[in-house]
Amino acid sequence: MSAGPYNYSYIFKYIIIGDMGVGKSCLLHQFTEKKFMADCPHTIGVEFGTRIIEVSGQKIKLQIWDTAGQERFRAVTRSYYRGAAGALMVYDITRRSTYNHLSSWLTDTRNLTNPSTVIFLIGNKCDLEGQRDVTYEEASKFAEENGLMFVEASARQMGNRGDNVEEAFLETAKKIYQSIQDGRLDLNAAESGVQHKPSQPGRNNLSADQQASKDNCAC
Amino acid sequence: MYATKQPSLRIDQSDLMCKKGCGYYGNADWEGYCSKCYRNHMDQERQKKSRQSQADHSKAQVSGFSKFEEKKRQQTDKKNKYLKSLPVFRKSSSAKDSGRPEKYIDMRQANPDADKLMAEFISSYGEWGEHVRKDFFKCVQAFTTKMLSELDAKPIEDLAEIAQNYYNLYNKRVNTNDVYQGVTSEVKDELLDFFERYSMVSLYSFLFCPPSTNDEEKDLTIQDRIRKLSWVNAHHLDCCISETSIEVRDLVYTAINDLLGLDSMKAPQEKLSCVVRCCRSVVKVLQHCQGGPVSADEFLPALIFVVLKANPARLKSNILYVTRFCNDSRLMQGEAGYYFTNLCCAVSFIENLTAESLNMPEQEFQSYMSGEVTCVSAWESALVACEGMHQLCEHLALLKGLLERTAVVQDGTQKLREDMEKLKDEINEKVASVLERTPLIIKPRKIPIPITRDNLPVSPSIHIPKIVDTNMPETDEITPHNYYLQNLSMTQINLLDSTKTKLQLDITPCLPVPNTAQMPSQSTEFLSPSGIDNRSLDSLTPDDNSYLGLSKINYDIDFSDLSADNSIAEELTPEKRKSPTPSFTTPDPFSPVGVSCNIMQSPLVPSSGPMLVPVQERPPKKDDFVLPFLESIPKKVEEETLLDKLEETPIISLPSPIKPFTSEYTGFSKQGSKIPSIPCNTGDFSSLNLSQSSLPSSSKDPN
Repeated sequence: MSAGPYNYSYIFKYIIIGDMGVGKSCLLHQFTEKKFMADCPHTIGVEFGTRIIEVSGQKIKLQIWDTAGQERFRAVTRSYYRGAAGALMVYDITRRSTYNHLSSWLTDTRNLTNPSTVIFLIGNKCDLEGQRDVTYEEASKFAEENGLMFVEASARQMGNRGDNVEEAFLETAKKIYQSIQDGRLDLNAAESGVQHKPSQPGRNNLSADQQASKDNCAC
Repeated sequence: MYATKQPSLRIDQSDLMCKKGCGYYGNADWEGYCSKCYRNHMDQERQKKSRQSQADHSKAQVSGFSKFEEKKRQQTDKKNKYLKSLPVFRKSSSAKDSGRPEKYIDMRQANPDADKLMAEFISSYGEWGEHVRKDFFKCVQAFTTKMLSELDAKPIEDLAEIAQNYYNLYNKRVNTNDVYQGVTSEVKDELLDFFERYSMVSLYSFLFCPPSTNDEEKDLTIQDRIRKLSWVNAHHLDCCISETSIEVRDLVYTAINDLLGLDSMKAPQEKLSCVVRCCRSVVKVLQHCQGGPVSADEFLPALIFVVLKANPARLKSNILYVTRFCNDSRLMQGEAGYYFTNLCCAVSFIENLTAESLNMPEQEFQSYMSGEVTCVSAWESALVACEGMHQLCEHLALLKGLLERTAVVQDGTQKLREDMEKLKDEINEKVASVLERTPLIIKPRKIPIPITRDNLPVSPSIHIPKIVDTNMPETDEITPHNYYLQNLSMTQINLLDSTKTKLQLDITPCLPVPNTAQMPSQSTEFLSPSGIDNRSLDSLTPDDNSYLGLSKINYDIDFSDLSADNSIAEELTPEKRKSPTPSFTTPDPFSPVGVSCNIMQSPLVPSSGPMLVPVQERPPKKDDFVLPFLESIPKKVEEETLLDKLEETPIISLPSPIKPFTSEYTGFSKQGSKIPSIPCNTGDFSSLNLSQSSLPSSSKDPN
């Protein structure tokens, strides 16, 4: 990892959730390594990955928690919902059951995260158009009804749709950053899932930042 | 580290001990020393370094860092020293210039876990008095503020040392200070534990995987490493975990889950207890597999296996956090210390795992590592692809249940079928026996089906005559007939259901009655030769005759019905007379047996025969009047319903006997004597005459 300390000004914590075998780990791997992991072993418990991205000129470190889809590890994975700024909810467009379980995933997410958590719905494996079992329309309707962002993506196929993997992560970050700017997301809240790390260390900035912070406090 | 010295995984107890031989457990992260010896060792190192170079960035040497990285990190640490305190200023709306305590407050605000702990403290130790609580929090605050103040200035190792010092300080304080005088020693231990827990939970976000270290990189490295080693199996590790037993698998899962909990806990002792629980589960697994006591030689491979399969998140960070900030006394001895040291060994084994340590050829190892060869085993499917296995198992269980249920259903259906068969046989037997027992004559009674229909008229016949009697005593004969026709059609329908039951009941009375009923029929037929007498009798004294009188009413009804029909038939009479007669002729032969018999066998035909004849005869007189009304209806009736009516007629003859209440009839007869007499007589006469004329051949022949 090239990420030295404080190369970034924010840390956003993400979680990836969804049924087993929908490709959560592959999405993460695709995003962090830009490679498709062909024979990805099943995740047990949680794994994590990081990558630094840039949103509006700000370097943001994404700390992404890839959870196990298995029911058996639900107790373990649940503890990772807390303090997630973004949740990527993944289903497999070729398996209807994974889509049908979305509502329970969504309930879990809503119950265990804070209200400002951005939830992004991803229909994975869209390269397998021939085996499609869930239409784009119904999924996007579901997303709309529940106020989620939605995209269909493929962790395997870079190019047209593979970009959507990147897009999903970036859009989520943008939205989180937006809500920070709007003041909807309180950085100091207990489980905001966002940590602020000033990116330009130096004594000189202290006074300015201090000033700014005082101003913030005034309001 | 020491594990890798040996090709196989055998580890001597001595390998777990401190390198210095002080009797405490050593630790891979302490370079094989126990914490105390490690500290001494580090101090010596530091002194050496400081002598060599005056640079202050050589405070601690962390294996695995390049010097350059270390320098860079420490520089940034310094730079961030001030920035780190920024949140303090942000939070502190009221401006206390001393940022430290506010940082503490800030920390607490943003830490619900710490709040929970505080509440727990108050509820648990509140009884020891306000001063204990105050002193406790004073100490905690002193500790945390000190830590935060040093957070950016010193490397994490130094912070760990500070923490250990504070633990010791508080320990002394608890044991010596007056405030804690009344507190029992047990509670003192608890307070010490709580001190560590509370302060560490409060500082967790700063001390766990701090950005100033490369802990996160280590985590990612080992995570990747373990993922690549997912093909390693129990037999590779030479451990005796049974691969197929479901119980063992469940136990392994329990161990895995315990280990996974490591990252969710915040306090060092909580993390430690996760490790202990995991290791106990591993011991249980081994006990289950071996059926005996477990030695360290078997334990470590099993633990390695569990770690490989669990791939716990931030494994390195967690181990480092515990080694740094858990109270040394806890780590150096006892169960927890032993298991934690084992875990460190397992991790270092995994980090340094080679083909040699697995006792396999280098080539094979490489092909596994590169993913060229994938290993498929029971464990692979049980642990790695366990969801599929689970589903399989669940589905199998489901299928089993379904099978059982279908078997039950099949048994049930089989039973039902047999029962039905039995029932059928029984009924058949019963019916047969009843048939045997009962004489032939009874059979007619059993023919309720035709009778039911026929009975319909009976009831109307019963009612109607009354109506007729009451309403139409004086009216012409025609009107009753019409009335009957209408009534019949109406009542037939209406009474169908209601009468059925009654009729069946009525049938029984019919039995005695039939004689009477038969009498008239017989009379008509039999009498054909000698009928003149009867007729003459009827005509002369129509109502008075005993049986005729009983059946009068019925007769009347029948005739009236038929009369209407016949009225039409009259015109057709010439043709019809000829045509019906032949058909009637056949029944006639039966007639001698009895009207009832006729009804049974071919109730319509035989009964109609004799009846028609008389009816036909009757109408001619009434026809003139009836024709206009009846013409339309009867024509249809003739063709379609004639039979029914004809049926009715014989039935009527039957029911007539039903009415044993001759007294009533007689009573009626007095009032409506004319009515019955008129239709009956006229009908009888005509019918008789006609029947005589038309039927003689047929009716007489059988006789």
